[in-house]
Amino acid sequence: MKQRLQRLLRKSPTIWQKLRVPGWATALVLIAGQALAAGGKPATKLINVADTRAMDPGLSRWIAEAYNDNLWLYALLVVVTMALMGSILGFGFDHLVGLLGIDLGKLEHHE
Amino acid sequence: MDMFQVYLPIAGIQFNILLLLLIGFTVGVCGGFFGIGGAWIVTPALNIFGFPMPYAIGTDLAHMGGKSIVSTIRHGKFGNVDVRLAVAMIIGTTTGMELGARLVMHLEQLGLAESVIRKIYVVFLFLIGSYVLYDYLSHIFRQRKAAESGAAVYTGETFAQKLQRVRIPPMIHFKSSKITCSLWLPVGVGFVTGVVASVLGVGGGFIRMPALIYLIGCPTLVAVGTDLFEVMITGAYGAFTYGIKGRVDLLAAMWMLVGAAVGAQMGTVAVKYVRGYSIRLLFAVTIFIACSSVVMKQLKYQTASSVLILSAGIVISGVIIGWLVQGIIKERASRQARSWAAFKKED
Repeated sequence: MKQRLQRLLRKSPTIWQKLRVPGWATALVLIAGQALAAGGKPATKLINVADTRAMDPGLSRWIAEAYNDNLWLYALLVVVTMALMGSILGFGFDHLVGLLGIDLGKLEHHE
Repeated sequence: MDMFQVYLPIAGIQFNILLLLLIGFTVGVCGGFFGIGGAWIVTPALNIFGFPMPYAIGTDLAHMGGKSIVSTIRHGKFGNVDVRLAVAMIIGTTTGMELGARLVMHLEQLGLAESVIRKIYVVFLFLIGSYVLYDYLSHIFRQRKAAESGAAVYTGETFAQKLQRVRIPPMIHFKSSKITCSLWLPVGVGFVTGVVASVLGVGGGFIRMPALIYLIGCPTLVAVGTDLFEVMITGAYGAFTYGIKGRVDLLAAMWMLVGAAVGAQMGTVAVKYVRGYSIRLLFAVTIFIACSSVVMKQLKYQTASSVLILSAGIVISGVIIGWLVQGIIKERASRQARSWAAFKKED
């Protein structure tokens, strides 16, 4: 074993010279392969960001900033806003329709 | 028209406020009248005017939850919402939707998802529309026959009544629907409709509404109101899940909700002046138009399909508002006639 290793060390400069060309060729193929694998379909956006750069301060900007800050809070904001708006508009328009003088009591379920 | 343009920061586009109000109003009228969410009108309508599709779906779900609250409040005061029945259906629907989603994943792994789901969607819409239309025509035929012979209209025992007689405890009385049946009936029907809705990728209002009428035996108006209660819950859930994914434009949803709130009130009040079978007839027509739109989309006529569905929505809203106005005029005229008659009597 020791003798084999010694023989190998003596031959190593010539071995490295012989491996030089196939070694670089392999490296080129591997690097080119990686570069080709990186192509194909364009990568999809990892994170969506609302563009607030040209926005004036106001409700739109506030919503966009909430969206950019934390999507969980944004989702909660969506649900709460829709529920509140739905309730307020529901009761509000209900009252307005009542002012038209229509009878809005319980209906008979006739087919 | 530029003053009505608004920048929607989340969808990243400029949009016309009047268009958002019109889309919201149209779907509000149809939703309040039929008891459906109306995603099949809103999503293609938003998409053809520039909304990216995922944002169109998420924004629609968000506004649908809010709009359904408006309609449910009014239907509740009319006595059309059976909360107990809705809760039983929701239990079944959510379980069914979960199973439906897994079925779609399995079909996707087999490479069959797209082709199978598309065909099922068209067939389903056609079957629902055909059955509801057949039911309406049978009813008209029975009425004419009864009028000719002078006898009462004979309906026989319906399929829903046969299902109600199945005695699997617990037996529950549903007050607003005036039916007594096993709890497993609405849970089971909710489960099946949930699976179908999930596989088809829809909210399911247009499946649940006829299911409530023909499988559970609800009166039409109660089916409309109860379905809206469910749409309210599923809309809120959909708004949350799409919100987390960042696919809800809250500003657009708010504008649509303002239009939808007005429309939903009008559509809901219109049911007061229309008999149940007339609602079913217009529902059948709407389903056939939706079916045609889906077929056109699959034949790659995307724009024509979206234009058809939006135009149909506007025309159907017009019909419903026409019935509403007619009904209000008749009601006020009869009230005036009664108060005039009472006044003359006192004299």
